[in-house]
Amino acid sequence: MNLGSRPDSVAPPGKVHVDAADADSREHGHRDRGRLRLGPRAGGLGMYGRMAVRDFSRNRSVTAALVVLMMLSVMLGTASAGTLVRLIGASSDLMTRADAPHVAQLHAGEFDQQAVDRWVAGRSEVLHHQTMLMLGIDGANLLFDGEPQTASIQQNSLVVPNTQRDLLLDLDNRPITEVAPGSIVLPVYHQVESSLEVGDTVRITAADGFAIDLTISGFARDSIMNPAIASSKRLAVAASDLEEVRAHTGEVEHLVEFWLHDPATQTAGFTRAYQDAGLPQAGPMVDSRTFRLLTMIGDGMVAAVVILVSMLLLLVGLLCLRFSFLTAVEQDYREIGVLKAIGVAPRDIRHIYLTKYALLAGMASLVGLLAGLAVIPLLTRNITRYMGTASGLANWIVPGLAAALIFVALVLFMLVLLRRFNRISAVTALRAGATSQPRAARLRLHRSRLPVQLRLGTMDVVGRWPVYLLLFFVFAVSTFIMIVPVNSATTATDPAFINYMGVGTVDVRLDLRHDDASSQEQFERAVAQLRSEPDVAAISPMVTTRHDTLDREGIPASLYIENGDHRLLPLTYADGRAPTDSSEIAMSLLALHQSGRTVGDSVPITVGGQVNDLTIVGSYQDITHGGSTAKSVLPTDGEEIMWYVIGVQLAPGTDATATAQALGRDLAPARVAAIEQWQAQTLGPIADQITIAAGVSALVAIALAVLMTALFARMLLARDAGPIAIQRAIGADDTGLRQQYLTRILLVLLLGVTVGTLAANTLGERLFNLMFEAMFGGFDMLFQGTSRIDFAINPLLAYLLLPVVLLGAVTAAIVASSRSISTASISSLTTE
Amino acid sequence: MTTATAVLDARGLTKSFDGHPVLQGLDLQVREGEFIAVMGPSGSGKSTLLYNISGMDTMTGGNVHFAGQDLGSLNQKQLARLRLTTMGFIFQHVYLLKNLCLLDNIVLPAYLAGLAPRHELNQRALALMERAGVAGLADRDVTQASGGQLQRIGICRALINRPQILFGDEPTGALDSTAASEIMDILGELNAEGTTIMLVTHDPKVAAHTSRVIFLVDGRIVGDRQQDPYTGTGLDQRQHDLTAWLLQHGF
Ligand SMILES: Nc1ncnc2c1ncn2[C@@H]1O[C@H](COP(=O)(O)OP(=O)(O)O)[C@@H](O)[C@H]1O
Ligand SMILES: [Mg+2]
Repeated sequence: MNLGSRPDSVAPPGKVHVDAADADSREHGHRDRGRLRLGPRAGGLGMYGRMAVRDFSRNRSVTAALVVLMMLSVMLGTASAGTLVRLIGASSDLMTRADAPHVAQLHAGEFDQQAVDRWVAGRSEVLHHQTMLMLGIDGANLLFDGEPQTASIQQNSLVVPNTQRDLLLDLDNRPITEVAPGSIVLPVYHQVESSLEVGDTVRITAADGFAIDLTISGFARDSIMNPAIASSKRLAVAASDLEEVRAHTGEVEHLVEFWLHDPATQTAGFTRAYQDAGLPQAGPMVDSRTFRLLTMIGDGMVAAVVILVSMLLLLVGLLCLRFSFLTAVEQDYREIGVLKAIGVAPRDIRHIYLTKYALLAGMASLVGLLAGLAVIPLLTRNITRYMGTASGLANWIVPGLAAALIFVALVLFMLVLLRRFNRISAVTALRAGATSQPRAARLRLHRSRLPVQLRLGTMDVVGRWPVYLLLFFVFAVSTFIMIVPVNSATTATDPAFINYMGVGTVDVRLDLRHDDASSQEQFERAVAQLRSEPDVAAISPMVTTRHDTLDREGIPASLYIENGDHRLLPLTYADGRAPTDSSEIAMSLLALHQSGRTVGDSVPITVGGQVNDLTIVGSYQDITHGGSTAKSVLPTDGEEIMWYVIGVQLAPGTDATATAQALGRDLAPARVAAIEQWQAQTLGPIADQITIAAGVSALVAIALAVLMTALFARMLLARDAGPIAIQRAIGADDTGLRQQYLTRILLVLLLGVTVGTLAANTLGERLFNLMFEAMFGGFDMLFQGTSRIDFAINPLLAYLLLPVVLLGAVTAAIVASSRSISTASISSLTTE
Repeated sequence: MTTATAVLDARGLTKSFDGHPVLQGLDLQVREGEFIAVMGPSGSGKSTLLYNISGMDTMTGGNVHFAGQDLGSLNQKQLARLRLTTMGFIFQHVYLLKNLCLLDNIVLPAYLAGLAPRHELNQRALALMERAGVAGLADRDVTQASGGQLQRIGICRALINRPQILFGDEPTGALDSTAASEIMDILGELNAEGTTIMLVTHDPKVAAHTSRVIFLVDGRIVGDRQQDPYTGTGLDQRQHDLTAWLLQHGF
């Protein structure tokens, strides 16, 4: 039986005692080890107790490592569960208190309230509906503390706060139903991102010289437009102030909101019916599922990373448990044999060990739970800021349950390990006194050209690799949890990431919403102007139209199709190629999945009132517009136009930001942004959160590696007291011995880092994509392959800096813990 | 032989563990070519003496000169180097490294010293094994040899760096009498060829093979007996004489 580690050498009678590997037991003063005591106490609790206590003190390092690991994994498990429950709790609390609409349609331009009212009268599922007027202010006309908001991609609109439904909430989650004239309430987003305070000034200007100063009287949480990725923001003012501003500047929009009797079942049918009824819909339509998704993405990702780290720690903890357990069994092998020989039932023997380890696990879980609860406020800072805290028993029960679950997993694992006892036979245990024969060295020193200590270190790792398995896993896992979040963060901030945003390699992007007939003219004017700009190298104008199609179940659904010449400034297709005429279509991975088709199939699309079967020639990744889009070259006249996008490629050496700003002024109301800026602002906050998570997990990884290395090195040195003393006796010096131990652990580190890095770039990439799948498609999109983002790896960081930091930390840990090498000397060996 | 210079010179050597004195102001000169047995009751400090005069342990007081060098003035690294290149050790439990094959165990000190090319050291090790009667065990594992064979490997390891002195701490203590006398024959031959040897033993039969016997009680030398070098005959008589002398000193 190979129990995965080297046995003590208890020499059979008449044989020479070769190696004194049991020196650590001597160190702790247990000189009676291995001697049989068949006195009256032998079968009683005396022996049980002695075994348990001895095991604790003999394997102090391993026991300590075990407790720390169990504690950390419970702590992070608790913390992530707590974060999730608070996130869900706070967001639904916010939605409930604010009485968020179930469906909302933003409309710019002419608005006929009566048409809506008439239509609603015939819809029995509608509980309430209301319309809010929003006055969009151009970034150039909006100054926070004197700072114009031109660089902001947020669409800021003045509103008069609602008084009954869809309420804005203050920082105590109390409704803001009124704003005093002369003051303004800003969304939390601006408080955080522009570092504003109550009392600061917001100035609104107009081209005609008009200017008004409003004082910030507070900040508001907005149940439907809270996070950065919801690119509209509502700024609450008094009705009189809104009217005054409206006389000089601003674009009027209407937000039509609906509350349904049973949103869970009625939303889908309702939205389609609305879209088909020819009602005002010049703008995006969103439902509560989208609000919730938008609200939870960022913090959900942080929680996901913490869950991942906690699971990996649990894995390492289980390995450590196995290791510690095997060491104990190996050391108590004889005693177990004795107990069996005198007739103690295996159940009772198992009981001793189970009690001991379950006690440790229980203690660790309790401390981990408390520590986890203490960490939750740190992880939920952002949630608290944007959504407040929902009180509730679940906030405490769920983390407790998570801790209990991990505890149960640990105990179950122990039970599995304990089955080993049944396999120990009394006879072999007493006769051999050792669990396995020492394996013959496969490598030979005398055939090597390596420096002696280097070679000895290598031989030891190869010769008894099971001992190093735990450390190997620790290093691989540490590398994994260090690199995956870092790679995720670099990917989200990498310029190549715009490829996944449905646009090709462009420098500047122009977005224009279709509001009315004038929008078409504005678009054509923009195209004309861009064509005449000397700094513009190429443009790709696109018109997005809404079409009816059938989903995988054959149910009618809407599809947004972007039309234009897709061969200009192309994006990278996951499969296939760009459509070249009106008989072809390329679909985003999510849209393709929803349609239940694959590249090469055809899909029915209603064009000009007729159903055409378009051939799917390509698929691509898109995370914009909910991830479900398509590209074709359909005629757009007479179709329902949704929005326009123009990708702009600049002449080399042109400053994208400055050009975008200049174009933005000329081409208003179209929004023009340098693509990097656009990316930074949409994905920036998420990337920031991933970066925080990356930092936290890198710290955890390094701490884990250092802790485990230190404990492992100490344990190794204690176990190897014999061989160390021998080597010193024959003339090896401490420097050399240290080199040998450094070699062993660094070799394991090297292997661990290599495997961890490989896993991070394959498995980790898969995990990252799963996250996107869940984010954009919901949980039912998991594992459907709707996200195929390649990691953008910063090789310097991922392959050099992080491994070097890990290497440095581990080396320092080994050097620090190898000081105890000096204590093992031959005189301690010979004192028998 | 008595006229030869002292390789090892210990003066006023004291050693205590946790304030408890084990060696109490001990003087000892070892001359080149001597074959010394250190005897004494268990716990009298024999092993401690060996470890202190060889610099393996640090003494509490007094000084030791080895080959003209003051051990007290050397640091840990220098001491290790000195032991490696000028001393050989054999132990009761041999203390071989289990993860090395037998040949590797022998060449290890040579590789550490690095005084000659490795292939030459390998040759030297094989030659020593041949002489010690364990040729053919080179590639064996530590578990694949008998106690007597392992002790011969231990001797080979001790000799690999051509030491000026060979120390032994009860090298025959764990062997049966046949194996023990074979080991003593090997050591006798080595001494006859000029190797200085100092052995700890409590067995008069082993001590009868030597040319000088030191008797230690409570960390003091209470008897120091010169005897003729053993030539291979009359061992029983020598043992008888030695026992009588030991009894005089309280054995
Ligand atoms: N490393 C040590 N620590 C504490 N006491 C020791 C140590 N080594 C030896 N002693 C004590 O010193 C005394 C002499 O030991 P030792 O030299 O081994 O005797 P022996 O003559 O049997 O070889 C003993 O009482 C022993 O307990
Ligand atoms: Mg002794």
